[in-house]
Amino acid sequence: MSSHPARFEMDTSARCLRLSGKWTVHALGRVRLASVTPLANGAAWQLDAGEVSELDTAGAMLLCDLLDRIESDGGTVSQQALGATQRALLDLVRQRRVVNEVLPPPVSESVVAQIGRVTVSALREGGGHLHFLGELTTRLLPALLRPWTIRWREVVNEMYRAGVQALFIVGLLSFLIGMVLAYQGGATLEQYGANILIVNMVAIVTLREMAPLITSILVAGRTGSSYAAQIGTMKITEEVDALKAIGIHPMDMLVVPKVIALVIVMPLLFVYADIMGLLGGAVVADLTFDVSLRTFFERLPEVVTLSTFLVGVVKAPVFAVVIALIGCHQGMKVSGSAAAVGQATTLSVVQAIFTVIVLDALFSVLFHLMGI
Amino acid sequence: MGVILEAKGIVNRFGTNVVHDGLDLSLEKGSITALVGGSGTGKTVLVRTLIMLRAPQAGELKLFGENVLAMSFNQRQRMRERIGVLFQGGALFTSLTVLENVLLPIREHGNVPAEALEEVGRLKIALAGLPADAAVKYPSELSGGMVKRAALARALALDPDLLVVDEPTSGLDPISAAAFDELIIELRDLLGLTVLQVTHDLDSIWRGSDQVAFLGRKRVLAMGTAAELTERDEPELVAYFRGKRSLAYANQFWRDREGTNHTAAQLAAE
Repeated sequence: MSSHPARFEMDTSARCLRLSGKWTVHALGRVRLASVTPLANGAAWQLDAGEVSELDTAGAMLLCDLLDRIESDGGTVSQQALGATQRALLDLVRQRRVVNEVLPPPVSESVVAQIGRVTVSALREGGGHLHFLGELTTRLLPALLRPWTIRWREVVNEMYRAGVQALFIVGLLSFLIGMVLAYQGGATLEQYGANILIVNMVAIVTLREMAPLITSILVAGRTGSSYAAQIGTMKITEEVDALKAIGIHPMDMLVVPKVIALVIVMPLLFVYADIMGLLGGAVVADLTFDVSLRTFFERLPEVVTLSTFLVGVVKAPVFAVVIALIGCHQGMKVSGSAAAVGQATTLSVVQAIFTVIVLDALFSVLFHLMGI
Repeated sequence: MGVILEAKGIVNRFGTNVVHDGLDLSLEKGSITALVGGSGTGKTVLVRTLIMLRAPQAGELKLFGENVLAMSFNQRQRMRERIGVLFQGGALFTSLTVLENVLLPIREHGNVPAEALEEVGRLKIALAGLPADAAVKYPSELSGGMVKRAALARALALDPDLLVVDEPTSGLDPISAAAFDELIIELRDLLGLTVLQVTHDLDSIWRGSDQVAFLGRKRVLAMGTAAELTERDEPELVAYFRGKRSLAYANQFWRDREGTNHTAAQLAAE
């Protein structure tokens, strides 16, 4: 008995097909069926499996293939020499084996067709979000008219997770962005001796654009993705179906509280980011550009009108709805596999950030036209 | 060919909660053993211990005559290739098709010429009693019974010597369940498998197994054929085996064997 890998040799003088080694799934790698055909030509062969130390189903299957090749070439193989268990295994495999069907080659798609397909699926995706927005509205409006039907406990939980737990990261990043703005703007303004204008620049850019964008991107990454992952997992584990079966609309339980919570929390986060951004700018202005903290904050009310502040904050509820909507919708669309949850999470972040920036650009155009 | 699995003095604890205390179990090659016991008697914990997913706090575990608890990680990996496990929910990889699920262990551990790989996979799927077109389906597209069969195909991928099955027939309709029991017996006969199955199904216990290991009092309280366990007097065994439905099986068993049912009748009268 040998324990080397499976091998076979065809002794053409003795008309003997000699098998040896371990014919198991672990050691079949060296069996080359292709080497059979030229030698087989219509002869009667004897099978000698005396040197086979082990045989399992995979080995038996390969042996079957081997015999088939010889037989299809007009040869015959006498299987007298096989042991009873080996023959039983061979019979089992013969009986159950499935001949591989030939799959049609994948149709290659022209570039135009690919562009068309991608466009259509992108439009469908957008349409799907609108559809979900409509569905959400039909659940949200009645709930808002009867606020006692809203699951406030859920809302408060979500507010804590999306708001309070984001304070550190939002604060830190806003502070750093404020610093960066002051450095970049300050270096140029200093050349003109207009250091004091740092206040104008930092305040306007932070309040109007930077604080809202940074906060929205962070919330999309932190909170939107977690919505998609949570709801997606619940879909896979049939929890969403269980809710439906119990008679609770999944929208009411899973989506409405998240949307309400984010709409409440987002403006607060914006204001907080405004403050931290201004602080960051003020610190740099004080340390590097000789604009003292006191001067900075004294000048602030002169350059910032209420509208500058509101222009930033008014975007908050819109972005909040977009982020929550896209996260929840991607989660609800999950079906099938664990990989789909990961995909939905990625998509929710990408689409939410994309939509937020597009909307932000639209807001800018709109405010410009309104002359604010 | 002797003992495939031997556990001695296994102790499993979770905090202060002792699940197994000095548990012994041994499985003969080619046997089908049903592991039964009330809920909370640690069937799943025991299975996880035996397939080396959990290290017991004390005791000795020999698989194929080798002490696995003293082994290095790599040696244990080699051991795992000889054990096929069918998890309760199937645990198929949801992002892979049935065929890819079956091929995963073969690709990872086997050595099969690339041209024959897919054929081997399809053979296993056929052995598990699935139609050929199931191979390209995803687990989410399969019915409950088909998921179990697909999981069985994956468990059989490397022609294991020991097959461990957690509740193979739970959630199946009686006809599918009976077919599954027959499939296990058939595979045992054909491939020389040793099978350990956790089950609650009376059909599996009485008709689908050679012997029954009954878990109780934190150990294997009794081991023997279902008929033998019916005659035992421990209260746990009486409660489990002398219920109305279980006795019906016992009666059937004795009728088939001796043409009388006096023993069961006596037991029922007690």
